[in-house]
Amino acid sequence: MKNITVKYGVDSITKQVEEDFTFGDLQESDVFKAALGFSDRTKALLDGIEQSPGTVIPAGAIVRLETAANTKA
Amino acid sequence: METTEIIIRDDGTLVERTLRERELDAGPAVLEALTQGVSRDIRNVMSIPDWGLVHASAGFNHTLWSVAIDRIPLHARFRLVKGVLVPAFASASDLEMPLVWHAPPEVRLAFVIQTQEHEDGVRLDGNWLFAFSQSNRGYRLPLPNLHDDCRICTGSFPDHYPTGAEAVLASLEQFRKSKWNADLMRTAEQSQRFFRFQATNETFATLPIEAEDWTSLCEKVSTDLMEEVVL
Repeated sequence: MKNITVKYGVDSITKQVEEDFTFGDLQESDVFKAALGFSDRTKALLDGIEQSPGTVIPAGAIVRLETAANTKA
Repeated sequence: METTEIIIRDDGTLVERTLRERELDAGPAVLEALTQGVSRDIRNVMSIPDWGLVHASAGFNHTLWSVAIDRIPLHARFRLVKGVLVPAFASASDLEMPLVWHAPPEVRLAFVIQTQEHEDGVRLDGNWLFAFSQSNRGYRLPLPNLHDDCRICTGSFPDHYPTGAEAVLASLEQFRKSKWNADLMRTAEQSQRFFRFQATNETFATLPIEAEDWTSLCEKVSTDLMEEVVL
């Protein structure tokens, strides 16, 4: 297990997750969604750099989630 | 200047460390590079009649103008449901009216304009509409023509202006006269519980939002641009 901190707007949460927990797992996690109130359309940033969903989140990381911009249908 | 330190490590070994300091000639170019991501808030830059005060966040590459508005012009189609007039954005047959929705005090609206220097003037990069709670959480209102990141689908209007002030004025005017259609509409239910009107003798009065907590009808939003909004 490892600790990660996730920020969304003015809210943040620190939580223990499995060692192989990825950015994609975070973006789809109902637990984190319920705690921070983000929707299905987000991007995950580490030190300001957007991360791909398949990348494992490093232990102790502070992940920032942002609302992803959609385009006009 | 040079200083020497003798360090005793935990295992008892002695280590000599030499520190050398010299002043760097950090010219304007170096300082500019170091402060590229820094923006400065400037409050009360100007006052726009009928709208209010405009604040700015001036960055290296762009300026973000924030207007704390207290109403939203809703030029859309409306339908009467149980005596209450609600928007029917996707309708083609209901009555089209230019109603103005007045925000209750707990809903803090920010109309945001981003500009950047361009040739002899400024280029308008976009308009956003955010709703903030009293605790500074940002939300996307249940409105069509709003992207997920709260960028407004404004329709086409000029994007080059001699000054930032003119870009702000033009953006507000476009916001005032634009029609709200169903381009980015998801569900009408939240809109119809949020934006409600009742006919009075002379006009249409804004009714309270039909929810205990108005944020339950909105989507929580977080973007890097939002952090530069000056409320």
